[in-house]
This record gives sequence, structure tokens and C-alpha cells, in this order.
Amino acid sequence: MIDQILLGHNQFFGVNHLAANAGNERAAYFSDMDRIMEMINFSYDQGVKAMMMSTHERALFISEELQKDARLKDLGIYLLLPYAAKYIKMANEKGLVNIIKDSLSDTTAKEKFGMFWRGSVGVVKKDAAKIITSLIDVEMAQFSKLNLKAVFLHDVLTDLILGWDMPEIFKVFYDHVSKRYNAIPAFCSKNLPKIIDSLETVGIENPLIMASINKIGYQVSPSLHAFEECLRTKKVRLLAMSTLAAGYVKPKEAYEYLYSLPNIESTVVGVSKKHHATETFSIIQNHLKTYKGLPVSNGVAAAAEMAV
Amino acid sequence: MRLAVVGIGKMGMLHAGIMNALEGVELCALSDSSRFLLGFAKSLKDVPVYKNYEKMLDKEQPDIAVLATPVFLHAPMGIECAQRGISFFLEKPLSVRAEDSETMLKLVEEKNLTTMVGYMMRYIETFSKAKEIIDSGVLGKIINFNSTIYVAQLFKTGKGWRYDKEKAGGGVISGQGTHAIDLLHWYFGDVDFVSANMQSFYSENVEDFAHVYFKFANGTGGWLDSSWSKRHHRLLEVEINVEAENGNLTVNDDVVKFFLDSAVGDYPAGWTILHKPDLFSGVEIDLGGPQYTRQDVDFINAVRNKSQVGSNVRDAYEVQRIVDAIYDSAAANGQPVNLK
Repeated sequence: MIDQILLGHNQFFGVNHLAANAGNERAAYFSDMDRIMEMINFSYDQGVKAMMMSTHERALFISEELQKDARLKDLGIYLLLPYAAKYIKMANEKGLVNIIKDSLSDTTAKEKFGMFWRGSVGVVKKDAAKIITSLIDVEMAQFSKLNLKAVFLHDVLTDLILGWDMPEIFKVFYDHVSKRYNAIPAFCSKNLPKIIDSLETVGIENPLIMASINKIGYQVSPSLHAFEECLRTKKVRLLAMSTLAAGYVKPKEAYEYLYSLPNIESTVVGVSKKHHATETFSIIQNHLKTYKGLPVSNGVAAAAEMAV
Repeated sequence: MRLAVVGIGKMGMLHAGIMNALEGVELCALSDSSRFLLGFAKSLKDVPVYKNYEKMLDKEQPDIAVLATPVFLHAPMGIECAQRGISFFLEKPLSVRAEDSETMLKLVEEKNLTTMVGYMMRYIETFSKAKEIIDSGVLGKIINFNSTIYVAQLFKTGKGWRYDKEKAGGGVISGQGTHAIDLLHWYFGDVDFVSANMQSFYSENVEDFAHVYFKFANGTGGWLDSSWSKRHHRLLEVEINVEAENGNLTVNDDVVKFFLDSAVGDYPAGWTILHKPDLFSGVEIDLGGPQYTRQDVDFINAVRNKSQVGSNVRDAYEVQRIVDAIYDSAAANGQPVNLK
């Protein structure tokens, strides 16, 4: 069962899709780990027993705290990987090939993938798949003990693979996550209509997709109309993010809009202050009473960012 | 339209992905110096791969090429494309020094080829809106500006071509500063002179910090401060603040806001504030940010119409001349270098 409301994580790490400065201020506030744990506990008490988590280096601390805390052990974790900004920074520092090589250097991969390093041209699909699953394992290593509900492929990679039209990689990710981690394999994307079609070509149906959706169409491509049409006509489970359009739409109208759409499975909410959290959770929980008739405490996810 | 890509690093992968997803464009071949990347790509994507890009251009005869290689390779690769009549998208900056790109410039202009250099910030909605406002004249005469470009990228000695002056042209000015310099040149036009100071701490032979004063031909003066070693800047951020006769304007990645002393046409007196969500419009495929798609669509359309885009090789050459002057000034301890 997918949780209907997820606590977002961007606000903890200084990510703000409207204003970089506000993001920095919030990161400074949450540099005190106790404040992060306080927000997680507060949300838990409000019935939000799941959270989104990227493989950000600071998420490691949260991961450790969660494992120490008997009460939070059952907190559902929806992992997003890889933490893209880290790799973009690394690519600028040392180049793409070195990133892959260094990432795999601590594993037995050096032996396994010797032919790659030597530059053999006889590399086949199976070998590339092994590299991909090994990279997933490296990224997952410190998070695999958590109560993993789903593992999302970050939109930077999902959409890159989509653009290159290599849906077999989606299949490799999908199979590996479900078999090895016993979690729901899922995808974050900025291109909902296109990703559903692409996943269908490799037999992945009714996928769990995390995507931005809000009534003003901010960060929604190719258009709000096409996105809504896709929700109406395709088989998909949507985990809604950016529902508040980076704080641009007020929660009341934001969720009225969201729950006027079909196939909303979950929503991720990025709250920094308790009173915002209470207000937002209760608005969503009220909608959920009537939406699809689902019970309130478990079930839909929206990534919204709110001002501190 | 058949697309060939040279250099499948971060930017090559990005543009290849976007263009391949656009209607009527198909990725037909890849070239890279890394056998590892070629082997990896080949095993996942059924397209021919080449270590030698010239061979690829001859054999595959693409209509367009993306050249996303280290800076020192831009001009020679642009020349090879131009000689074969292939329109190309070239990563920024144009070249190590402006003179390195003169043969390429001459060739593309003789053949009237469509070219684009990767100054993508023009396609971020706030910066393009600011251009519209500045060009409309509502601010009156632009008197002065200050600007910054910062990113938290380098806090130890970097590895690879980006930190090698011979290959990259320089440090933060050549690498990221050129984005801001391109915007300033786009907004304010030709530069009369520059004066620059630079500082290194983490890097051995390129600058980590640079501060530049510009005097533009239209009389506008102002400065750019830049660093790739600036903490708390998770993403590359540019901000430009303009003081003008009838008001002021601030633009960054998130917002464009301006204040007018008196109303002009449809623009009211007082503050007008436009956030990114006010200006957003969706794109055919969003990969790494809609600005890249807007940029690639502009390029593809220009190739189809045999026309030119704003940031073509000629325009980037003018930016490169400014960049050269900045390095020359810094080498002479900040003495002004004339571009007139």
C-alpha cells in the first residue's frame, strides 16, 4: 500500500524551486539535525508516516537516526536516487568516466568490469546492465536497512534515458529494485505523457510516477492540458509533487485542484514549520475522505515547498 | 534530420537526449575519446560509435552535429564540420583565445551555416524577460550595473581539462563567467574596455575568483564578481542589478523585478515582480531544465529555415574577445584593456 501523504525532504537540504536564497536559509535552519527529526516526529504524530528521501550525503544522518529510533522504525521510506546535484558537481570536478570508475572502486566491480576499463569493444547489453545494477547497489548501500516502500529513479536520469530512447534501462532498474530490495520500483519524471509510453514499450504498466503537477502548470511539460489528458486516459499512479508550485499557489486551492484529477495515488508535502504542516496535512486529509473513498492515514504523495 | 554527437560527457548526453526526442530529429552516431563510454553507449543504444570524429562525419554524413568537447577542441572540430557543410551546436565558451576561432568563423560565414554556441541562460525565462524589458527602453538610459555568478563547485584542486588553462582557456571566467558575460553583452552591447583582477586558492594555474569592471560603448558601466568556490550555492546562480534613468531592475534565475519612477506604455510606475512560475511555459521534452530544450528547438528551427540564432559563432566570438581582454587585464594587474 502506498502512503497517501509523504513528508518531502527538499526543505531539509536547501532545495527550493522558486528562490535559491530561501533554500539556503532553510538549509541553515535545518543544519541542526534535531530540527529535522522534530519535523519528522511531528508529521508522524499527524498521521504522516512516510517520507521522501534522496541519497543526499546529509540524508545518511537521518537514515542513522531513524534506525536508532524504535518508534520511527516503521516510517515508510520512498527513496530517490541518485542525488543528481552531487554527480553534476563531481562531473565538473573529475569527468564522467572517473565518476563511474570511482563509484565502483570499492566493490568487486573492478574485476567484474575489467573489460570496460580496458576499453574492450565487445561489451554487450548484459555487461552494461551489470554496471547499472552495481551503481544502484552502491547508491543504495547505506539506505537498504530502512523500511523501503519505493525506490524512484531521479528525473535527471529518467528523462535522460527517455530522451535517448533506451527504455531497456528502465526495465533493468525496475527488475533490480523489485527483486533485490523488495520495494516498488518507480520513476520521477518531468515528462509524464512520454514516460508512460516509453515504459509501456518494455512491459511496465500502470507505473508509479512522481511528477510536478499544480494548477498554474509550473514545471509541467509539455503542457498542463496534455498532462491532465494523460491522467484521464492512461493507466498510471501519480505521486504528485510541486503541488503548491514552489509556494506560489495557496494550499486550499492547490489541493482542490489536485483532487479534481484522477489517478492521484499520493502527494509529497515539503513543510518546514509545524503550523504549515498541520494546516496542509488537514486540508489533504479532508480531501482524502472523499477522494476515491480511501482511508485517511494511508494511501496518496505532493512535493510542495513552503516558505519558512 | 540526422544528428551526430561528439563528446558524450554531461552536456553532450544532455543535448543528444533533447534533440533525439524532438520531432524530426534522430541521433545517428556518437564519437568520444573514451572507449569506456563508447562501449557503454554502444551496448545500450543501437547507433554506430567512433573514436575518430572526422571518420564519423565522413561516413555518417549527419545534417547537424553537437560538439560538446573540451574548449581547446571546439575550433578544430567546428572547422571540420564547416568544411563538410554541417550545421553545428558548440558548447561554450567558443575557444581558448578568440584568435583560435577566426578560421572557423570565416568558414561558417562564407558558407552561411547555422551555428549555435551553448549560452543557455538566454533561454531561462527570467533572463529573456529582462532582455525584453531592457530593449523596450522603459528603464530609460542604463547607467550602471553590478552582477555576480557563483557556484559551490571547487574546494580542492580539480582534476581534468577544466582546470588546465591550455585546454579550458582559464578558470571560473572561462568556465562559468562566460554565461554572465554573454548576458551582459546581450543586454548592453559592445564593450569599450575592461579591467580585471583574479585570485586562485584551490587551483594551480587557473583562477578561482575574478572581479571585472566593464565599460560599455553605450556608456553603461559596472562590475561582475565571479567564483566557482563560493559556499552555499548549490546550483550555478547569476544575478544582475541595473540602475537606470527611469528606475532599476534586478534579474536572477528565480525572478525579474523592476521599479519605474514613471509609467511607460503598458508598464506601470512602481514595482513589477515576475517570478519564474509567472513566466513558465512547457516544452516538448524537459531534460535538465526547459531552457535547454528552448535553446535546442531554436537551433533546430534555424537549421530548417537556414537562418541564424542570437548566440551563433559570430556573437560568441565577440564574447570571446571580451574574455581575452579580461585575462589580459588580469595578467597586467588590472590595467584597463581596450576593445574598441
